[in-house]
Amino acid sequence: MRATDNQGSFLNRISIRRNQVVSMDGNHEQELEDLELFQKHVADRFSDLLLPKPSSAGDSPSGADALLSIAWFRKLLDAFLCCEAEFKAVLVMGRDPAQFAKAPLDRLIPELLDRAVKALDVCNAITHGVEMLRQWKKLAQIAVTALEQRPIGEGQVRRAKKALTTLLTSMAFDEKESHHGKSTDRNCSFGRRGVAAANKDKTAGNCRLLSWNFAKSWSASKQIQAMSSNLIVPRGGEPTGLALPVYVMSTVLVFVMWALVAAIPCQERTGLPTHFPVPRQLGWAQPVIGLQEKIGEEWKKKEKKGTCGLLEEIQRMEKLSQGLVEFADGFQFPAETDDVAAMVAELAAICENMEEGLVPLQQQVREVFHRIVRSRAEVLDVLDQVGKLSTPVPY
Amino acid sequence: MESPRNVGVPLQSAEKIILRWDSTASEEARERMIFDGDRHEIDRYLQAVDEIQRSMESATVADDQSKAIQIAMARLEDEFRNILIAHTGPIETDSLVDPSSSVRPTSTSELHDEDYADSEEVSKEVELQEGEAESSTISRYRSTNSIREIDLIPSEAIYDLKSIAERMISAGYYRECVQVYGSVRKSAVEASFCRLGVEKLSIGDIQRLEWEVLETKIRRWIRAAKICVRILFASEKKLCEQIFEGVGTATDDACFMETVKGPAMQLLNFAEAISISRRSPEKLFKILDLHDAIFDLLPDVDVVFQSKSSESIRVQAAEILSRLAEAARGILSEFENAVLREPSKIPVPGGTIHPLTRYVMNYISLISDYKQTLVELIVSKPTAGTRYSGDPTTPDMDFTELEERTPLELHLIWIIVILQFNLEGKSKHYKDASLAHLFMMNNVHYIVQKIKGSPELREMTGDDYLKKLTGKFRQAATSYQRSTWVSVLYCLRDEGLHVSGSFSSGVSKSALRERFKTFNAMFEEVHRTQATWLIPEIQLREELRISILELLIPAYRSFLGRFRSHIESGRHPEAYIKYMVEDLETAVLDFFEGYPVSQHLRRRSQ
Repeated sequence: MRATDNQGSFLNRISIRRNQVVSMDGNHEQELEDLELFQKHVADRFSDLLLPKPSSAGDSPSGADALLSIAWFRKLLDAFLCCEAEFKAVLVMGRDPAQFAKAPLDRLIPELLDRAVKALDVCNAITHGVEMLRQWKKLAQIAVTALEQRPIGEGQVRRAKKALTTLLTSMAFDEKESHHGKSTDRNCSFGRRGVAAANKDKTAGNCRLLSWNFAKSWSASKQIQAMSSNLIVPRGGEPTGLALPVYVMSTVLVFVMWALVAAIPCQERTGLPTHFPVPRQLGWAQPVIGLQEKIGEEWKKKEKKGTCGLLEEIQRMEKLSQGLVEFADGFQFPAETDDVAAMVAELAAICENMEEGLVPLQQQVREVFHRIVRSRAEVLDVLDQVGKLSTPVPY
Repeated sequence: MESPRNVGVPLQSAEKIILRWDSTASEEARERMIFDGDRHEIDRYLQAVDEIQRSMESATVADDQSKAIQIAMARLEDEFRNILIAHTGPIETDSLVDPSSSVRPTSTSELHDEDYADSEEVSKEVELQEGEAESSTISRYRSTNSIREIDLIPSEAIYDLKSIAERMISAGYYRECVQVYGSVRKSAVEASFCRLGVEKLSIGDIQRLEWEVLETKIRRWIRAAKICVRILFASEKKLCEQIFEGVGTATDDACFMETVKGPAMQLLNFAEAISISRRSPEKLFKILDLHDAIFDLLPDVDVVFQSKSSESIRVQAAEILSRLAEAARGILSEFENAVLREPSKIPVPGGTIHPLTRYVMNYISLISDYKQTLVELIVSKPTAGTRYSGDPTTPDMDFTELEERTPLELHLIWIIVILQFNLEGKSKHYKDASLAHLFMMNNVHYIVQKIKGSPELREMTGDDYLKKLTGKFRQAATSYQRSTWVSVLYCLRDEGLHVSGSFSSGVSKSALRERFKTFNAMFEEVHRTQATWLIPEIQLREELRISILELLIPAYRSFLGRFRSHIESGRHPEAYIKYMVEDLETAVLDFFEGYPVSQHLRRRSQ
């Protein structure tokens, strides 16, 4: 590079984790280039997510890449992992550790670390939430099995209705109650209630498909709020320009976590923020802002009447279940089965989708978890080198 | 009871029985449970179900029959749930109590104790106090060293559950059965978790807690985890196998997963959160405890969570183990860093043992206690010298002569090397060079004593290195002596006192007087100063004094012997010969006691 020609005594960038010295002048241009690329890639990936490719089924609403579907989320998490890898390369590799001790990183890095920890908790909540989705899928599968029988008899209809009612109650129940009245947290004396009581909360008991995995005080919406509250756009002309990639990555992280929480059942989602003040003039942010607006709108609409989450498959499952319950209510043997057959087929397809897609989704969430852990550890390592974090010998 | 092949009547009466027990249709059906009643009633109902089932197998199925089977299945589902709930309670911890506890009492408090031997008493006390604070049933458990399944449900109930499950599954109601089973049993597991003190802490919560608080939680977790894996989960698995025996392994596995997957993940999440917490030296030993516990548990985890669907649990456990190992390695490295960089510049008064020395040696002792685990985890040599770029103040270490030592042993030695290096830096803050040497002597001697006092440590550092260290403190002692006494003894030299003359005795009286005066002044100064210095180790103190006397006394005695007559023949001899040999001997006894001289005089006069 021409910049380094007249600076022979400067050390070149060595990209090993320790022993790093960066010549600011010589590699500054490279750094700017990397930054530009990083932002462009973010924009590209999210633009792809905003305008999904049309599925082979034409404009069927059950297109595989429909917004907030399982497949879409898998793409989203992939995109996140790619962005994160690039970000780490920009931030950590070749970085003079001393920069971490100076402004603006000295303030931004602790915030970044804090956000990482919150994101890890969200990942765990989501993993747990996917188990809930599995429960719902199993209930739907009962209904599908029952209603696929020919001819459809009253027995099958009752069976389907029972399962679907449980399903629908659970979808509504888990949202309205942030903890269960008979939560084992408070009441460890299980099983002493009478038979009658056991029968009475038969339906309630069925609704308690899953208790939350965090203590009652934990709130997904609060986590998201906390993660986004200190996201401030860096002003132009910041000394090292590192504030910008940190802002970009943090915005991406918060968006991904927020989208997951909006879609998948999670502990305490009331009050989930729907607006994130990302300034429009930032080029890379356009697709993200677009997605935020779309998803935010959906959330606001659904939140009013209580929502089981915006996951596309679940939204359709809820609608179909309601339709099928209606059918069951009005059922008389023998009955016309064509309409029902279509609904049942669609429900079956959703179950199939979930059957195939939930395990890989969980695995990806787990990968995201691992990646965040690793990056956080690397950042902490760098901070150690600076000596800011080295705990004094505690004698 | 096999009824004659008269399809009409048994089927009709079977349907009647089913309809009678339709809980959506009659109050009475809701109030009572079949399986709470007498055996005859139960058998009749089951036979009725079987009859309907049999009739379903024929080619044409009336709508009535499909309805009947659904009603029957719904009923059976309720009965199933009811039986389960009646026998579901959190695990009885009483059956697990054992008076002898088997948990290692390590905590950070040990690291601060002056003498490691004392601290064992302290930590046992701490353990006992904790035991009293928690409920007495939970504090000590029978050592859960291997899988031990207990019967969660009495066998009559299992028999009933089995008979229901068989029918539900053969009627195609497998999903409902699994779902009911899972939801009830999972609550039981969660209630047990509650009893065992398994908490639902988030990673954020854990990062915020004080490490001492976390130590207690880790201890509790280890106890609980052993019970959960080896007793609780194993027993749940056995229960599934018992109830769903003969129905195909998929069902019992599905039920087992329904029941324990969530709780198992919750259990592991705590350990995972600990494994990713920020590293700092005092965390090492609890992290190792946790590592060892999970290492120990892993084979049982693999057995209990054998199936394909529980792979994620096994994988997570293995991941946590390797993260803990990484954390241990990182913390050791942190510790070495911290020792090297320990910045305090305030000299310890009296040149005595520096708190850093005590801390590091206690730490090293603990490392030797944990040798069995650490020797597996620490696999790379310490990187001397080149680690700290731009930092010229790092000791050199040549590891080639220590080739047979394990990496862990090399680390230990390295730690001692950097401790000394740091101490040497600290010694330079003493204004008095003699004190600096004394300080080094004291501290290195302490290190040697600590190593000698522990066979483990001694073996790990090796006698060669011990010899080196011994040499070092002896050298420091020698340097001290030279530093203080050379100039004092210089007063007692022969040269310069003799005057060349033809017939006079040849000794310059004025020079001699000067010498005595100087000697006295110097000695008094040394006496005054070095009485306040401290050598805590009695034997060393005496040895050094003896060594001083061996230098001083013969020289003084001989000086006196040769020259006293010249002083005594002049005026005011007492002004110059202030001390007899015995006086010097007595004075030297004051050295290194750590008290000012006036206190010595006071003590002597008492």
